[in-house]
Amino acid sequence: MTASSDAGATADHDDVVTLADVRKTYDVGGTVEALAGVSLSLPTGSYTAVMGPSGSGKSTLLNLIGALDTPTAGRVVVAGEEVSAVNERARAALRGTEVGFVFQTFNLLARLTAVENVGLPLIFAGVPRAERRDRARELLAEVGLGDRTDHHPTELSGGQRQRVAIARALVADPALVLADEPTGNVDTETGSRVLDVFDRLHAAGNTILLVTHERHVAERADRIVHVRDGELERIETLDGGERCD
Amino acid sequence: MRLIESVRIAWRSIRSHRLRSALTVLGLVIGIASVVVFATFGASIEAEIVGDIEGSSASNVYVFATPADDEDGGFDRVVQPAFTERDVQALASLPGVTAAIPRGTVDANSLTHGEDTVARQRVTATTPATFDEDRIVAGRGFRSGSAEVVLNERAAQTFAENVTVGDQLTLSLSGNRTHDLQVVGIVNGTAGGLPVSDFAEGSRVYVPVDPFYRTVVESPSVGVRQRAYPQVTVVTDPTGIEATRTAVATYLDEESDARLLVPAGTEPTARTSGDFAARISSVIDRVTRFVTGVAVIGLVVGAIGIANIMLVSVTERTREIGVMKAVGARNRDVLVLFLVESGLLGAVGAVLALPVGLGVGYAATRYAEVGFTLAPGWMATAVGVGVAVGVLAGLYPAWRAARVDPIDALRYE
Repeated sequence: MTASSDAGATADHDDVVTLADVRKTYDVGGTVEALAGVSLSLPTGSYTAVMGPSGSGKSTLLNLIGALDTPTAGRVVVAGEEVSAVNERARAALRGTEVGFVFQTFNLLARLTAVENVGLPLIFAGVPRAERRDRARELLAEVGLGDRTDHHPTELSGGQRQRVAIARALVADPALVLADEPTGNVDTETGSRVLDVFDRLHAAGNTILLVTHERHVAERADRIVHVRDGELERIETLDGGERCD
Repeated sequence: MRLIESVRIAWRSIRSHRLRSALTVLGLVIGIASVVVFATFGASIEAEIVGDIEGSSASNVYVFATPADDEDGGFDRVVQPAFTERDVQALASLPGVTAAIPRGTVDANSLTHGEDTVARQRVTATTPATFDEDRIVAGRGFRSGSAEVVLNERAAQTFAENVTVGDQLTLSLSGNRTHDLQVVGIVNGTAGGLPVSDFAEGSRVYVPVDPFYRTVVESPSVGVRQRAYPQVTVVTDPTGIEATRTAVATYLDEESDARLLVPAGTEPTARTSGDFAARISSVIDRVTRFVTGVAVIGLVVGAIGIANIMLVSVTERTREIGVMKAVGARNRDVLVLFLVESGLLGAVGAVLALPVGLGVGYAATRYAEVGFTLAPGWMATAVGVGVAVGVLAGLYPAWRAARVDPIDALRYE
């Protein structure tokens, strides 16, 4: 590479996610603009929180970055793949291997045990059963559930379920962990322990994007992206001191 | 995603709704089992009847006149006597032929045994060659030219007191002629009868052609009046039956008196028991197919049950589908997953239905007192159809599942 290569390309290279002037409109009896030209990059190893009132476009942003949706205009690049340029198959593969989702409502499959839930993404990636189980056990142990591997979700507390979900998000060793209100369905005490897990993941070098409407949750991140009316209002960078209080 | 994983997940989903799955499978079991039952029963009946015909009369060529337009090997017979004594002798002298047995009817009024008189419209006139050692129950066959009579078992039982060999019978023929006859034998069938009479045997009284059969016509070839019969049975070696049939047919077409004597619109024909068996087979086959077709309705109902339950399942599991898609399942994976599930329901149904159908089919053959014959083609079809029905019934639900938008699904409560 020579010095003439443009800055954008270089930035792409270091960033897990790049959004360039992304627009998303929905046609629901009239056009609703959920995102009105958003540009954002998530550098490798960063921990970003997205805040905004409901209807601000947070969820749309998350769905686009998670390759669950495609933009109406603009580019969304995740782990080097342009989401809008690839087919459904490739987007599924992207979700399975490069993105780990953590949902507010956990979204564990009730029929499967903890270890099977954690191993689920690997099924679709074609990983053999024994290998899946080993990897899932390892991750459950990491989130402190080594003794709960064969329990079904209904036999676990809310906090435990969310930790299972986090283990599932990490099982394919993704480039990015996406969390949508991960503390929304647990009490403050439990929520704080869930956030501790994210802190550890961050410390271990994972890239995290967390959507929340709670300031104290968002403050765990490196920076807070404020979204309003489909636009980036401002990006607030937090220093280490503020994060650790 | 590997197929084995789809099977595992699908099986688990089936097991998680035991009652629902069991009822769905039950619907299919009933459908497939009915098909197996009717097919098995039909095949058994067919094998039994055809076996009877071929076993008892594999060496016979039946000669009679049929309507000329009857091209498909039918057995519609014309009753006019057309086969002259000369024809009978000519047929008997064809190569490979051991006997030509003429058969005609003599109009009668009644038959008396002791004090007991039974009305009887006709008796069968034939020759001694019709009595086959294996079918004589008691006594012997009659001799030509004698006042002797042979009864089949059914006829022997028509009197208040059963007729036995050595008894005297008085036969009253039309025209008020009466004959005293001695019973010399009881039989359970004759070589000269058409195969159908073996299982629909009525009461039969056999008398010798000489002296009782008096139907005569003028033979066009020899120019004298002689006895003529509506039917002749040519007995030959079973291995040479086709050659004999050809020889008989050639004779009938080219030289027989019968070709000139048969009524307009009819022609003399030669049929074997094989033709007869094929004819009956095709009739039974048609009935079996019809009844089995009715049973297929049950299968369709079973299929609708699967489709219904799979649609419910897709709706119930919308969120689950969303989760699977969020963690990397492709549309195709979801499609396969649901297809495998409905296919499994179909396969389980088919596998359970097979022994059920065979069991009921076996019971039915016992009840009907026929031998049990498997219909492997139908069995394979039933199982194949079961799986196919499962997959087909699952197609639309699976397609719906595959199309679920993960974003909506994850929001779905």
